[in-house]
Amino acid sequence: MRPSRPQPPAGRPAVRRKRGSVHLRLRLGFLVIAMVLSIFGARLVQLQGIDPKSYAAMAAAEGLVEVTLPAARGDILDRNGEPLAASVDGLMVVADPYMTQDRAPELAKFLANRLDVDYFRTLNRLREKGSRFEFIARRVPSTVATDVVTATREAGFEGIATRPDPIRDYPAGDVAANLIGFMGTDEPLGGLERTFDTQLSGTDGSARYEIGGGNRLPLGESTIKRAVDGQDLRTTIDQDLQWFTQRVLRQTVEDSRGDSGFAVVMDTRTGELLALADHPTFDANRPLASPEADLGSRAMSDVYEPGSVEKVLTVSGLIDAGKVTPRTRLKVPGSLARQDRVIGDWFDHGLIRLTLAGVVAKSSNIGTVLAADKFADGQLRDYLSRFGLGQATNIGVRGETSGILPDPSIWTSQTQDRIAFGQSLSVNAVQMAAAVNTLANGGVRVSPSLVRGTATTDEGRRVGTDTTTTRRVVSERAARQTTLMMERVVDPEVGVAPGANVPGYRIAGKTGTAQRVGAECGCYDGSFTVSFAGFAPADDPRFTVYVVVQNPRNGGGGGSVAGPAFAKVMGYALRRYAVPPTGTRPSRLPVEW
Amino acid sequence: MSSPAVQIRSRVPRLAGSAVERARLTVVPRRRVRAARVPFVTLVSLVLLGGVIGLLLFNTSMQQAAFAATALESQAGSLSAREQTLRMELDVLRDPQRVAERAQAMGMVPAVSSPFIRLSDGKVLGIPKVATPLDNLRIRPKAPALPASLNPAPVVVDAPAEPGASGPRNGRGDGRNG
Repeated sequence: MRPSRPQPPAGRPAVRRKRGSVHLRLRLGFLVIAMVLSIFGARLVQLQGIDPKSYAAMAAAEGLVEVTLPAARGDILDRNGEPLAASVDGLMVVADPYMTQDRAPELAKFLANRLDVDYFRTLNRLREKGSRFEFIARRVPSTVATDVVTATREAGFEGIATRPDPIRDYPAGDVAANLIGFMGTDEPLGGLERTFDTQLSGTDGSARYEIGGGNRLPLGESTIKRAVDGQDLRTTIDQDLQWFTQRVLRQTVEDSRGDSGFAVVMDTRTGELLALADHPTFDANRPLASPEADLGSRAMSDVYEPGSVEKVLTVSGLIDAGKVTPRTRLKVPGSLARQDRVIGDWFDHGLIRLTLAGVVAKSSNIGTVLAADKFADGQLRDYLSRFGLGQATNIGVRGETSGILPDPSIWTSQTQDRIAFGQSLSVNAVQMAAAVNTLANGGVRVSPSLVRGTATTDEGRRVGTDTTTTRRVVSERAARQTTLMMERVVDPEVGVAPGANVPGYRIAGKTGTAQRVGAECGCYDGSFTVSFAGFAPADDPRFTVYVVVQNPRNGGGGGSVAGPAFAKVMGYALRRYAVPPTGTRPSRLPVEW
Repeated sequence: MSSPAVQIRSRVPRLAGSAVERARLTVVPRRRVRAARVPFVTLVSLVLLGGVIGLLLFNTSMQQAAFAATALESQAGSLSAREQTLRMELDVLRDPQRVAERAQAMGMVPAVSSPFIRLSDGKVLGIPKVATPLDNLRIRPKAPALPASLNPAPVVVDAPAEPGASGPRNGRGDGRNG
């Protein structure tokens, strides 16, 4: 079906001639079309071939939001799950001085009233020349910050905004602050916070999505990488006991006008540290308000000579080796001339006849040295080493000293004399508490721990209650007999530390008054380290408590300074954990003969 | 398609050409039944319309869901911030230091002993003892000592007694000292 074309009208040829031939016009037309199309083509190549991303990126940037999803930092908990350190969503309040400078005084007054900020400092920041970003307040709880910013908007102020700024809160302030450490602006600066940062910090996530009018576009691009929150770190610390111990310790150090002090409360059977107190301490919420020297844990980093407390280790070793019994009779002279120096006792006496129990109860250096003479070569060092002296406890506290137990190569008989009563060797407080706890635990040393379960330190060491090890150091009989002798220490009639008694309970303990090495001269400078270590109930021990005060200036010794503190802490621990008195009769070992 | 027809034709004898010519079969034109167009068009239109409206509704509901999600997200955010702030306040309230301070303000003192009653034989274990204010624990740090400049040693002056001026001159001094 070919449509029949009507014949062109008669006047047409004249027009055609004017416009040129059909072919010519067609060609020109095609040429124009080809030129236009090649421009299009070139543009296409430019957009798709040469620079394909730029427009896509521009299109995507319009309304595409990319945010980091911050991982919540894990809490540090005490043994009952109470937070010692917790993370809270916080915001920083920031200002744009370009927008705030006009009404700066009013706004500064408004902010000073609502936030805990200084009026004049805020005023200066709001008027800062040439700046477009100034901090007004940092680490404000997000509800407070949001309320304040909303209120400023309603009051007609402009240029105040918020940004995320997580808060690390230490609800109990100085409780266990020396262990927990503290956070700097971006990173942990000390203590458990830093040691276990990998576990606590988690991994930030991110999200990319398109928004329109403040709402997420349902079918737009949406990529979410979820944040992995940090894991909590559960410690063996008992918050209330730790608080009580810290207060008792502070009172003790202040009243004796000492330099510093530390106290350890240990669960006898599990080796868990229920409290590890330091004084002076600091407020973890305001670490910069305290001297830098107070920010660590002296209980772990202070190396000191334990003094007479160590005698119980010597004596238990002697009994274990079968050299003595608690009733071994010793003639103790007023002074004892040994190779290089004269050994004396803390109290003046002539020749006295003491049993070994009497030597412990009266804390006689001379008696201990005479008894320790019965050791074979190297035996004492071997025992002390098995008690854990000279080796770091590795409980996960930073800056721990491993103490000094002299090497066999420099171990002379003079050294042994002094070490037998606790001088010429150095320990840290947890080491010593664990050693005394060995006697409480029937001669089996339980390694101390501060972390419940298990955690990995920044040095890659696994620590915690799951890694607890035990080893037998002395026989059960030796431990029990030493305990009976230690009970005589707190006896009001024969012992040196009646103040360490907890009414109703059988207490086994030992005082220590050690000469202290001064930092300047590197010699004994006339100051003392006084201490008391003990456990209760003596016939079924549950807790070992060790209290140390450095350089008391009231002339007190281990029995009068540390003893009462021991009694308070031990009494509190026994009450708190509802440990009933055993009701048995205390040790009546003879002290003299 | 055409090959069987060719074979048939070749087998037919060429005798009665004209008869064959007459009897040649032709394809009967198929009778075209015109389906009613109206239902089909209606159906298609309905499907189209339904699709468009459905899509529209679906989109709208997704947008509504997005609005709701945004609102709920911001609500969840503010609620969790509120919860955290409340938890922080709670932690402050149960801070052992604060509890102890309140207890001491009420006149409470720490226990000094806690005896136990053994239920089997009714025996009292431990020594019951009343706690007194002397057993109190100092829960605040001691105030720091005043610096020497603020706490000068008392100046003692040995004033020589004036002859004849001993004893109170009048009643005022006595009254002051009380």
